[in-house]
Amino acid sequence: MAKPTKPLYSSLDEWVDVQPLEQYEKVNPLAPIFYTDEYKDATSYFRGIVKSGEMSPRVLDLTEHIIRLNPAHYTAWQYRYRTLMSIKAPLDVELKLMDELAVKYLKTYQVWHHRRLILTETRDPQRELAFVEESLREDTKNYHTWSHRQWVLSHFNDIDLWRGELDFLDTMFNQDIRNNSAWHHRFFVVFQSGVREGEEDRERVVRRELTFTKQNISFAPNNPSAWNYLRGVLEFNKLPFSTVTTFVFPYTQPTDPEAVDLVDLDNPPPSKQAELPCPAAIEFLADIYESEGGESLLKANQLWKSLADEHDTMRKRYWEYRIKESLQKGST
Amino acid sequence: MSMYRGVATPYVHDEIYMPPLACAAHASHSLRCITGLPDSLVDVDASRLALSFYCIGSLDILDVLNEKVNMITRNEWRKWFWEQQTSGPHGSGFKPSSFMTGQGPASEFVQSPEYSCPHVIMTYTALLSLAILRDNFAGLDRRGIVAFLRGCQREDGSFRTTPQGTESDLRTVYCAFAISSMLNDWSGVDVDRAKAFIASCRTYEGGYGQEPSCEAQGGTTYTAIASLYLAPRSEGEEPLTAAEREQTIRWLSSNQDESGGFRGRTGKAADACYCFWCGAALRILGRDDLVNGLALVKFLDRCQFKFGGISKAPDEHPDPYHTYLSLAAIAMYPPPLGESGSNTSWHLAPIDPLLNATQATARWIRDHVP
Repeated sequence: MAKPTKPLYSSLDEWVDVQPLEQYEKVNPLAPIFYTDEYKDATSYFRGIVKSGEMSPRVLDLTEHIIRLNPAHYTAWQYRYRTLMSIKAPLDVELKLMDELAVKYLKTYQVWHHRRLILTETRDPQRELAFVEESLREDTKNYHTWSHRQWVLSHFNDIDLWRGELDFLDTMFNQDIRNNSAWHHRFFVVFQSGVREGEEDRERVVRRELTFTKQNISFAPNNPSAWNYLRGVLEFNKLPFSTVTTFVFPYTQPTDPEAVDLVDLDNPPPSKQAELPCPAAIEFLADIYESEGGESLLKANQLWKSLADEHDTMRKRYWEYRIKESLQKGST
Repeated sequence: MSMYRGVATPYVHDEIYMPPLACAAHASHSLRCITGLPDSLVDVDASRLALSFYCIGSLDILDVLNEKVNMITRNEWRKWFWEQQTSGPHGSGFKPSSFMTGQGPASEFVQSPEYSCPHVIMTYTALLSLAILRDNFAGLDRRGIVAFLRGCQREDGSFRTTPQGTESDLRTVYCAFAISSMLNDWSGVDVDRAKAFIASCRTYEGGYGQEPSCEAQGGTTYTAIASLYLAPRSEGEEPLTAAEREQTIRWLSSNQDESGGFRGRTGKAADACYCFWCGAALRILGRDDLVNGLALVKFLDRCQFKFGGISKAPDEHPDPYHTYLSLAAIAMYPPPLGESGSNTSWHLAPIDPLLNATQATARWIRDHVP
């Protein structure tokens, strides 16, 4: 059993005026938890406080204590928030505490939610993005952490906040080019959050994104996140996949030992070490052929067949489905 | 990490032998958790009802509830669930447990309606649990639940977990839709607004994120797809456009990785729970034939814990959540039965993918909840 971190409230003089309220368990409960004495004591005092409606500084101590024992205790969070508001507690102190708790309970929904509520009050997001970057060091794909960043950016929608996002993403990509959360964030920043100052020339932005994606595919061709991003950029901007046929084609071929490393910014070729052919490129090229229709359907079918039989046998059924669907479409 | 590059194997017509599924051990794991949880699991204190659903649900899928639990105990369980139904100024529903309920001097309930209020996710799992226990729902405050849902919906179409709470996302939209569908009463939700919220969670990958602007994720994609297919719609109206549907099918099937399991996000490792979330979403979309079912059950086979229960990945610790969702996935994608009787242990109770319950329980709901 965990060692108590604090003396029991029932032993403390300063809590003697609170009537603790034990948990009701009359009917045989399902999945009862064998609580520690510490948790039992703290939550009994918490139920007592909630009953009396007290909102005071010591309630902050009590709720913090409970949260440290059980960070998913949403009522403790809720009551804590109301107490903070009611006694006008300094919110910068609260945010400091949250810096510690967010990293400690990275995967708990409530930690992040509380942080949002506090920021909505302080309306001061200046150190938030640096904080998120710091906590991403603990877990570079943490869903809550990324959501928090997206919330901060869209909630405050301040040009100064947005300005550094692509540089921030560069540091994330330098650590791991396969981090899909970073790719998703890029799509959100560049395409899904409106057009900001300096980004008005959308053709230039699309060109920049295509170049960025192609470069990264040439460094690491078997990266599904980058291929999904390429699809996303083209679809969002209503550009046909055939816009990038020249780029995609070499990735569908076996490794060419004779190839020379070329510097071609528009169509960067795979490196000599690349593991080829790349299934995602084959899928991409098949989609291009399918949209051409007619004779090209045959070529699409051959590519899907090669995925089903050789390059992506785990998803054989999916590729066979694509063949069947295209034949049906072709015949109508 | 590259995609699987094995040599093509022809379809095998011979029987496929799987080692038997450890049904009895998984049932024991579920029963053990219902009996009591160690203090290390104190963080489920505020969601105990959902955990109880996973345990009872596992027994339902294994079809051993009546055999392993006698009627007296089943009645006690039902009583416990009913005790979690609570009413207040914001309507009625179920709370997670008595974690905020005090005991008065005469052992009576002492609770503040404001801090012991119903919770959308608990209400959904309570209805499922009571249906598994074949309750007649005579005690259900239907009008109160409708009022409660109405009080939880926000301007943007999403739902708060509790009427005065501030958390909301796609999971609660699904629970509100599933509850409305069970009640066969949609007057508590503004369906169009909720659908607009769902649409705003769709991402360029073809999946759905937990909130607008979030990354596509298998669990939230299930809740989005199931919600759209549960919602009432006019004749000829499709929940998704043909292009959206194909894109979602593509993304969902791309999540079955070389381990045979499904991952929740592009580039992450497979996790047993996504075998259900992605597998069920594909089934709702009518494309369960695209799942490599044999590879999926072989992955889940490896996630079984030696002493019962199923964990998120091989060599991890089991929990009721992963046990339930793995069993539900196995029920949807069982390995072929051999003529010699092989693999029978892998054939579990058939699942209704929209409500996330066995078909028999879903039928009970349709007959007794409205």
